Order: sequence, then C-alpha cells, then structure tokens
Amino acid sequence: MNIRLDQATLIHANGNRAVNAVSCEIAEGERVAIIGPSGAGKTTLLRLLATALRPTAGSLSVLGVDPWRIGRSALRRLRSRIGMVHQAPPIPPRQRAVTAVLAGRLGQWPLWKGLASLVYPVDIPGARQMLARMEIADKLFERCDQLSGGQLQRVGVARVLYQQPDLLLTDEPVSAVDPALSDRIIGELVREATTRGVTLVASLHAVDLALHWFPRIIGIRGGEIAFDLPPVRVTDAMLKELYASESTVVPTQDNLPLTVQSPGVRRKPMCS
Amino acid sequence: MRSVHWIVLAALAASIWASFAFLSLNLGELLTVESRALMWKYVVSFFAPDLSSEYLMRIGQGTLETIAISAIGTALATVLGLLLALPAAGRFGIVARAAARLVLNFLRSIPELVWAALMVMAAGLGPFAGTLALALHTAGVIGRLFAETLENAPAEPAQALRLSGSPRSLAFLYGTMPNVVPQLVAYSLYRWEINIRMAAVLGVVGAGGLGQMLYFSLSLFHQHQALTVIIAMLLLVVIVDGASAWLRQRLVG
Repeated sequence: MNIRLDQATLIHANGNRAVNAVSCEIAEGERVAIIGPSGAGKTTLLRLLATALRPTAGSLSVLGVDPWRIGRSALRRLRSRIGMVHQAPPIPPRQRAVTAVLAGRLGQWPLWKGLASLVYPVDIPGARQMLARMEIADKLFERCDQLSGGQLQRVGVARVLYQQPDLLLTDEPVSAVDPALSDRIIGELVREATTRGVTLVASLHAVDLALHWFPRIIGIRGGEIAFDLPPVRVTDAMLKELYASESTVVPTQDNLPLTVQSPGVRRKPMCS
Repeated sequence: MRSVHWIVLAALAASIWASFAFLSLNLGELLTVESRALMWKYVVSFFAPDLSSEYLMRIGQGTLETIAISAIGTALATVLGLLLALPAAGRFGIVARAAARLVLNFLRSIPELVWAALMVMAAGLGPFAGTLALALHTAGVIGRLFAETLENAPAEPAQALRLSGSPRSLAFLYGTMPNVVPQLVAYSLYRWEINIRMAAVLGVVGAGGLGQMLYFSLSLFHQHQALTVIIAMLLLVVIVDGASAWLRQRLVG
C-alpha cells in the first residue's frame, strides 16, 4: 500500500478537530481527488500525507513507512520523495523562475550542488523543460514578482514536476487560475502521474475538474469521509449533501450548474 | 492655558535656572566685547587652509584610511551581525535566542568612542583599533535589525522546501534569504554611511584616519591644517550621503 491512514485524527492547537478518525488506503499509481466544502479538512488531510503535521491520534504510513517512527535523516529522504503543489506558491518574490524550479531537487542534491546553484543555476535545461511543460519557458530568467498569478502558480507546479516525486500531492492547485488554464495544469499533473506511475492525490474546489480527471473521488465533510467512489457512481444528491453547509449549488469552474446524471458533462473533452 | 500648564512652565524655568547655577555657567561672558574679539581671532587664525600639495597628499591618505576603516568595520559587523542574528531570531531555540540578544545588547549599548578607547588600549594606536571599535558596535546594531528582519520574513517558502526534503541550511538560503537580502543590504549601506562619519571622529581617541589628523593639528595649534581636515571631512560626508542614497535606491528598488 502506498498510503494508509488508520483512524488518523488531527486536532489543531485551538481544539478544532480537523480530521476525525479517517481510515483509507491508496495504492501506488492511483489518482485520487479530494472534494468537499471549505473547512472540511481537505488541506489538513493533505498536510498529514505531506508529513507536515503529525496525527494527534491514529497512524499513517506514506510510501510504505510511518514518517513519525523514523529518524531525522530518513524522514528527510522520505520527504524528498513527496512533492506538494501549494494553493499559494511558496516562492520568494525576488527569486528567478529558474532558481525556484531547481529548488525542487534540494532534498536530493548533495549540499555543495545546492550551494553552487545559488551562484549559477546548475541545470538550466532541466528547469526550461519543466517550464515548457507549463507553457512558460520564456519566463525562465524572469523574477517571480514579474509574473502573473497564473504564471507563478505554474512555476510552483514546474518545481514539483522537476522534483520528480514518488507521491504527488496538490492542495487546490488551480483555485486562483482561470478554467482553461486549470484544465491544462491538472491535465499535466495527471500526465506526469500516469507516465511515471506515481500516486497523485489532489484536493480540488471545482467538482467538475475532479469528476473529469480522476478515477477515484473522496468527498469529505466535517473531517470525515462522506463517500469514496469512482466518479460514475457519485450522484447529484451526494454532492448536494456534501456541499449543503456551504451553498445550494455544487462549486464548479465557471459556476455552471453541474448535472451528474448527464454523461455528457463528465465525458466532455476538456483538453486535447 | 490652565493652571497646570503654568505650574509645569514655572518648574521648567526653575530647573533650567538651577542647572546653570549648579554648573556655574555664565553665558554673559560669551557675549562680552573681549571674548567676542578672542573668538573672532581664533576663527580667523584657521584661514587660509593649508593647500600645499604635500599636505593634500597626507589628507588624501587620511581620507582613504577613514573610508577603509569604515568599510572593513562595517563588513566585519555585517558578518558578525548575521551570525548573531540567526540565533537572536530564535532559529536555534529559546536559550540561544536569549544569549544572542544579550550579546547584541551588550555590543550595542557601548558607544563607538568607548569601544575605540578600549581598543586603542588593546590593539594600540592606529586604524586597527578604529576598525575593531566600529565592527563591535555596528555588529550589535545590525544584528538586532537583521534579527527583526528574519523574524518578520514569511516562513512558508522555507517550510515548503523543508517539506520536500531540503536541508535546513539550503531551505534558509533558497526560501528566506531572497526575502530579506534587500533589507539587509539597505541596513548595511545605511550603517556604512554612519560609520564613515564616525570613523572621522574616532581618530580623536587615536584610532587613525582624518580624525587623528584633526586631533594632532589642533593640539599642535596648526589651525590652517585643521581647517583642511575639516573641509575634507565635510566633502567626504556630502559625497558619501549622495552615493549611499543612490546605491540604496539602485540595489533595493
């Protein structure tokens, strides 16, 4: 099993129970979308998988090991195999795109290589290739504060692609990006996961994106799993109930009504 | 005005009068015809400045010495300040934080002139003492500013890098440094500008540079040469102010 959560619970310092006794298993190479209203615990769940948070109770194993039962250097090696695309790209504004992308492999490089790359980027072709996959190869030497929000988000994705992780996690990677671009970014992440056979777990705000690109949908509400099904078995009623606390409509990319029953929506070719 | 204000004013006036009486200062003496004539004579004795090429050569050397003292002093302070700022920003635990803050406060609370007097005793007369004095005091100031900059820098970029397995040192260099470097450069340049002025003064306690020349010429009643030194100091300060403002704008903007 690639990922196993066993009664994993996370209670924040303020007493908020963000993830409540969640158990689930995700096999190697699976592509899973996590959906649910804001505050449902999507981000916390992903941060558990990213080993950023330690479960308050229960246990988890990531890439076959329990991250909280291994030594510091082993944890560092494990983390270098986990790539996370953040909702807001955590890139210093004055950094150049090439440096921001190359920083993805700092966990794999020896220390001297990381230091040398500060003086002069050690793998310009590698960074250019990843930015090209995000269609912004021309921004290679641009400073990140010169980029638009969508371009900066793509630099963040390019960094994780460059890292070549064995587990790809994405936390609402396209919530600040227009629909056409969202589709291309998710498509590229899915392509990466498929060609390299690695696991992809993505939390998504737009339900239509999740249903279109992912063969397994986990809906969470109130820190617990509401359903865990392939998209064809996710019904309109389930979604309505999942988002009942937030609004009367299910969130989609253009805020167009989503009719799950019609196969046309799910099978609509969104990306060539 | 309310009566309270009158009472405060009266108290101020009384304390000022008491201070003059306590120190036996007699401002009136400054304004007598005799003292005015004496002052005028002293001022005139400075003119004209000694512009002989031989002395100008020495002035040039003194100016270079002052600039060098301030530059090396500030550079040393920047390195020492950054080394102390890392623990002072709480990156190595609470104990290290308190200890580093104590050291920074100690360095900062002793003025440059006192450091210079101490260093002259320790390292002998000359530029070495001045450089050390500037480095020690400035390290205290700059370390404190650096520590605050580091504490205010966003934590997410470095955290994200550590989550992808990056060692702590590289996460700091790739995630935190780009956010703080402009601030660090601006602080260092600003302190350098202050230190050039300070280096010119430090010579008075024997720490080399233009200040030492000024002190010698005044002690030996060579007023013409003293005026040359004063003019050189003024020019140096004007040039440095302009250059530093321009540089900071270029580097930080």
